[in-house]
Amino acid sequence: MTEPILAAEDVSKRFGATRALDQASFALAPGEVHGLVGENGAGKSTLLKILGGVHQADSGAVRMGGAALRLKGPSDAYRRGIAVIQQELHIAPALSVAENVMLGHLPGTRALRFLPVVDRRAMVESARDALAALDFHPDLERPAGSLSHAERQLIAIARAVSRKARVLILDEPTAALEHAEVERLFGLIATLKTQGTAIAYVSHRLDEIVAIADRCTVVRDGRVVATLARGELGVARLVELMTGGALAHGGATAAGERGEPLLAGPLPGDPEGLRLHSREVVGLAGLLGSGTSQALRYLFGCGPGAARGAVRGRVRVRRHPRDAVRAGIGFAPGERATALVPGLSVRDNIALPSLARFAPLGRCDDAAIDRMVRALVDALDIRPRDPSRPVRTLSGGNQQKVILAKWLAAETHTLLLDEPTHGIDVAAKAQLLRLIREFAARGGAVLLASSETRELLAHCDRILAMRRGALVGELGRAGPFDEHALRDALGSEL
Amino acid sequence: MRDVPVAGAAPASLRAKRIDWAGHIPLATLVVLCLVISLLTDRFLTTLNVTNVLVQAAVIAVVAMGMTFVILGGGFDLSVGSTVAMTGCVAAAVMMEAGILAGVVAGVATGALIGLANGLIVTVLKVNPFIATLGTMVIVRGAVFLFADSQQIPIEGTLPRPFLDFAVDRFLGIHDLVWVPAILLVALSWVLAKTRYGRNLYATGGNREAAYLSGIRVGRMVASTYVWCGALAGVAGVMLCARLQSGQPTSGEFYELTAIAAVVLGGAALHGGEGKLYKTVIGVFIMVVLGNGLNLLNVDSHWQRVAVGLVIIAAAAVDQLRHRR
Repeated sequence: MTEPILAAEDVSKRFGATRALDQASFALAPGEVHGLVGENGAGKSTLLKILGGVHQADSGAVRMGGAALRLKGPSDAYRRGIAVIQQELHIAPALSVAENVMLGHLPGTRALRFLPVVDRRAMVESARDALAALDFHPDLERPAGSLSHAERQLIAIARAVSRKARVLILDEPTAALEHAEVERLFGLIATLKTQGTAIAYVSHRLDEIVAIADRCTVVRDGRVVATLARGELGVARLVELMTGGALAHGGATAAGERGEPLLAGPLPGDPEGLRLHSREVVGLAGLLGSGTSQALRYLFGCGPGAARGAVRGRVRVRRHPRDAVRAGIGFAPGERATALVPGLSVRDNIALPSLARFAPLGRCDDAAIDRMVRALVDALDIRPRDPSRPVRTLSGGNQQKVILAKWLAAETHTLLLDEPTHGIDVAAKAQLLRLIREFAARGGAVLLASSETRELLAHCDRILAMRRGALVGELGRAGPFDEHALRDALGSEL
Repeated sequence: MRDVPVAGAAPASLRAKRIDWAGHIPLATLVVLCLVISLLTDRFLTTLNVTNVLVQAAVIAVVAMGMTFVILGGGFDLSVGSTVAMTGCVAAAVMMEAGILAGVVAGVATGALIGLANGLIVTVLKVNPFIATLGTMVIVRGAVFLFADSQQIPIEGTLPRPFLDFAVDRFLGIHDLVWVPAILLVALSWVLAKTRYGRNLYATGGNREAAYLSGIRVGRMVASTYVWCGALAGVAGVMLCARLQSGQPTSGEFYELTAIAAVVLGGAALHGGEGKLYKTVIGVFIMVVLGNGLNLLNVDSHWQRVAVGLVIIAAAAVDQLRHRR
C-alpha cells in the first residue's frame, strides 16, 4: 500500500458522558476507495467529522502526507483538499448551478479597474470544466434548487473537483439515489480514483462496499475492529464484524397471536393504507425520501389534511396531533431534537402529553405526576435516575427512552416510531427494542420506520415496503423474510 | 440532587450545578448594585428613596411580567409602550362617563384586545413577531393620538377622587401601586408553575415542534401570551393613569425597551422556554435601582443611558456564555 495521504491515528472523542470514538485509526491512500461501515452510533460520523475538520479529536492525531494536521474547521479542511459530501447536501437553492459549483472560491476581477466583483465568465468556465469532468452538462444558469437530489450531489462533487480535492469523503452517497443514478456515481468514483483521488466511502449498503471498495474499515462501539483488504470483503463477514458476531436475529420473537385491529386507514400516497393490530410490531421500510416519515406524521394528524380511518374500531378523524393523542396514538419523530423540550426536566417532558389527565381542572396534580414518572424512570431504566434533571443532559439512548416513557404515560395503545434507534449505542438500542417488544406484548401496536433493514428483519412481525409514499409490498414471517426479499419489495437492486 | 449520581454521570451533574449557580446572577447583581450605591451615597437607603424606587418599579414591573409571558412563548412584543398609553386614555375617558370600575375594565380589555390582535397577526398571518409588533406599536401610538385628539384626558375636570387616591394611598405602609405587581407576581407565578397552561407554555417556548407533537395547540398558546401581555400592559396603563392623574397619549414611551431589558436581565432565554417571573422583577429592580442610583450620584442623564445600555449588553453576553458549551 502506498503512503497514506490522510490518516487518523488513535483518535478519541467524547461527547459528555458518551465515548464516541476510542483510539480509532483510519488511513486513506491516493487512488483508493476505502469503505467505512458500522451500525448507527458506532462512531462512523464522528470519525468523518474529525477528518473533515468539524470536530477536533480529544487525543490522537490527524496526519496529511505524514505531517500532523490541526484542522480549524470544515473550510480549513476544504482548503487543504479534504472535501466531505454529506447526506444533506450544502447547496444554496437560490444561486445558480455555476455559482454553487464555485461557492467559496468564486473567481474575482475588478470592474472599472477597482470594484471587486465576481468574474462571471471565469466562474462559468471553471464550473463547466468541473462538471464536464463528471460528464454532467446541466444548464449553468439554472437555480440549483430546481435540481434533483442526485444532480445536487453531482454539484457538490463538482465543487470538490474544481477545488482539486485530493480526499473525497462520501457519507451515505447512495441513500437517496435510484439504481441508474447509483451506477453513474460508481462510474464517477472509478474516474476520480484513476486520477489519484483518495475516497472514503460510508454506506449501510454492504454489497456496495463489497462492489467498489479496495479496503474496508469496520467500527463498532467507537473502536476500529478490523480493516479488510479487497479479497477478504464479503457481506456476511462485514455484518459479523459490525454486530460483534451476535447477529441481530437473536432478538426475533416468536410473535404471539396478533390481536384486534388498533389503527387502520389510508395514507396520502396510498388509498389502500395500512392496518395495525394489537400485539404486533410492523416495520415500515423505505429508502431515504421514500415518504416513511411523512406517512407516520400523517397518521399522527400532522397533515397534509386530516387523517381518517378507524382507531380501535371507531372512526377518529385526526386533524392535529392533539386528536391523535386523545385517540391513544403516540409518535416519536426521527429527529430526537423535535420530540423533547431540551430545557425542561425529564419529569416535565414525560408528563407533557398527559397533562390533561393529571390536570383536569387546569391545576396539575404534582404528586400523582411524580409517582407516575418515578415508576416509568425505573421501568425503562432511564439514567441518571433523577427526573428533575434537564433532558438535554441525558445521552441519546436515554432521551429516546424518555420519549417512549412520555407515550407510555399518556396510555397510548399505538406507537408510531421513526428511526427510534438512530444514533444510540448498541446496548441502549437492544434495551429500547426490547421495550418496544414488551409494549406490543402487552397489547399495543407498533409501526417502526427504519432505514436499517437488518433491524427491521430482526425485530418486526411483518414489514411494509414504501416507495414514493405508497406501500408497494409486504413481507410476512411466513414468506421469504430476508434482505433480498425486502430489497425486491422496495424495488431497488442495490 | 435527590439520588446518588450514577457512574459516568459526573460531567452532567457538574454542568447542572454550574447552571444553577449562574441562575442567581441577576439577584447577585442587584444586591451588589444596592451595596455599591449605598456605600457611595447615604441618600439611597432612606425610606423616602426606597419608596420612590418601589413606586417607580411598580408600573414597569407589570409590563415586564406580560413581556415575560410573550418571551417564554418564544415571541417578542414591541407594542406594549403604545398599549400603556392607549389603555390609560381609554380608561380615563370611560371613567369620566361611566365610573371607576367601568374605566378600569375598559382599559384592561383594550389592552387584551390589542394583545389578541398581535397574537393573531403572529400566529395566523405568520408575521415575524418583531415586525408584527413594530407595526402595532406605531398603529396604536397613532390611534391614541387620534382618540385623545392629541390632548390629555380629561381636558377639563378631574378623574374620580378615589381613583386618584389609589396612586398615593398605602396599605400596611406600602403604596397600593406596589401591591398590584406583588399580587400579580404571586398569582401568575402560580399559573406558570402549577397549571397545565403554564407547563404547556414552557414546552411551547422550549421546543415548538416537540410541543406540537405532544398534542399542544401551539398557535393558541403563542397567541395567548400576547393577550396576557396586552392585558397586563392595560393594567399598567390604568396604574400610570392614576399616577399621572390623567390619560396621556405620550405616556409609556420606551416602556417596551425597558421591559425587554428587564426580562433579559432576569436571565430569560430570548428564544423562549426559559425564565421566571420573579427574575424578571429582579431585572426591573436592576434597571430602576441603576437609574435611581446614577440620579442620586448626579450622573448626567445622557451618561445614564449609556450605562443602562452597557448593562443590558453585558447581561445578554453573560447569558450567551452560559449557554455555550
